[in-house]
Amino acid sequence: MNWRFPADGSLVDVVGFEPAGHTGLIGPNGSGKTTLLRLMAGTLGESGLSDVSYLPQRPFMFRTTVGKNLAIGLDAEEASHAVQLLERLGLGREMLVAPAAHLSGGERQKVALARALGRRTRIVLLDEPLTAIAAQDRARAIEVIREAAGERVLVVVAHDLDELVALVDELLVIFDGRLRQRGRLSEVLVAPADLDVARLMGVSNLLEGVVLSGGEGLLEVEVNGLPVFGTGDLEPQVRCRVLFPAESVSVHRGPETGSPRNRWRGTVGAIRPHGRLVELTVDVGFPVVAWLTQGSAETLAIQTGEVVELSVKATAVRVIAS
Amino acid sequence: MSFLVEVFLEAVRALGDFGPELREVVGLTLLIALLSTLLGCLLGIPLGVAVALGRSRGLGVVRTLIGVGMGLPPVLVGLVLLLLLWRAGPFGGLGLTFTPTAMVIAQTVLAAPVAAGVTLAAVEGLPESAREQLGAMRLPYLVGARLALVETRSGVIAAAAAAFGRVIGEVGAVLVIGGNILGETRVLTTLIVQESRQGRFGIAIAAGMVLLFLSLMVNVGFERLRRP
Repeated sequence: MNWRFPADGSLVDVVGFEPAGHTGLIGPNGSGKTTLLRLMAGTLGESGLSDVSYLPQRPFMFRTTVGKNLAIGLDAEEASHAVQLLERLGLGREMLVAPAAHLSGGERQKVALARALGRRTRIVLLDEPLTAIAAQDRARAIEVIREAAGERVLVVVAHDLDELVALVDELLVIFDGRLRQRGRLSEVLVAPADLDVARLMGVSNLLEGVVLSGGEGLLEVEVNGLPVFGTGDLEPQVRCRVLFPAESVSVHRGPETGSPRNRWRGTVGAIRPHGRLVELTVDVGFPVVAWLTQGSAETLAIQTGEVVELSVKATAVRVIAS
Repeated sequence: MSFLVEVFLEAVRALGDFGPELREVVGLTLLIALLSTLLGCLLGIPLGVAVALGRSRGLGVVRTLIGVGMGLPPVLVGLVLLLLLWRAGPFGGLGLTFTPTAMVIAQTVLAAPVAAGVTLAAVEGLPESAREQLGAMRLPYLVGARLALVETRSGVIAAAAAAFGRVIGEVGAVLVIGGNILGETRVLTTLIVQESRQGRFGIAIAAGMVLLFLSLMVNVGFERLRRP
């Protein structure tokens, strides 16, 4: 290790983290992922890793042309590589003579990204490389990052999983300056260490239980004395975790007549807006988080304290060992 | 009231003549002030950038010292330099006492901390993202320092203007180290001291007007530089 940690003891769990391959750092705002990246980059603390190219969270354009900004710190070969990358990101060569001050936020991000990727360093550190880039340009940007990173070591910070899935193989999940989970992306997605990580991975329901019976991939699990059906490959009596996303939960006024294996009845607790959706927390013996569209929330006219029926298909429920 | 009018008229007359009392000292005043501003900036601006961009622990001490330097009493600087250059002093062999060179040295000592302090504040005033980006690119030191300076252009020009302001109106140091010798080391400020002591207020006021005019011209120049 040739980089140090903040004196307050945060991020100590990440001691020994030598980046390798393509790694994502994910966590909520203020969790310390940018701090960790800055420590590696050496803009914080006493020394960083060596042979590093680093894209800060808020790239800054100096008072000169786009082309000169792009070439700062690069040799001739690197600079021409950066120009090619910038073209692929959607900014043509004619932009190089324009003053950088005229660029939009997304264009600045592209220039800074092309500059960071253009350097021939062993390690590339990117802090939220896609956040400022418009949605329609992201797929291309991801492709450019993947190709330019190639065999090099890549560390990408994001607070959104969508930005990472196409870029990294390994994931470090950080909460409050502590490492919560570290593993291959697929591992963390399928088996989040706890509810916080599960939420970050887009899974809002994580329950603890014991397998009652198995067979043909369909498991029956006991959670707080209630049966829950899901898929997995575990033996009876094994302690397990049950995961299912909030969008897989259907909410009804009366008994559901369809085929879902899991049917629960419970009392509506919190009702909160969740983006364009409405998030319900229903106590069915354990808490279940469900998402409704605004429209169905209005149709159902659900209020706190009311009793509703919930159903979840067993195929939407994953059961993993804990 | 008629006294003030009389002084004013005398001053206007002196300006109209622009006699030897004024003529000889104006050139030297401007030369010494500009030279010491230039030297003070050459020393102070790089120091200010280095302290602003540096991250060593000891830099707090340097900051404090720059602050002290900005408030150095000119007459004390003149005195200490006089002792150093005095015939029996450590640098007596140079024979620099009561010379324009010694005046430039004294005023450089006054100008440099001001240039450093204002530059330091300007570079530190750059947005956090600019400083992070500068750090991120791991540039050779001079390249990074140059970028920081260009980015805070008006701060650097303010530093030069402040340094010039520190020396152009200064009398303590140049009087002690220069000695106010007519035709050799007399400048506008020491002329004002001398003439007002002798009750020749008209000449003194005329010198003051010229001083203000010089300052105006130099600052117009700085303002032109500041605008892109």
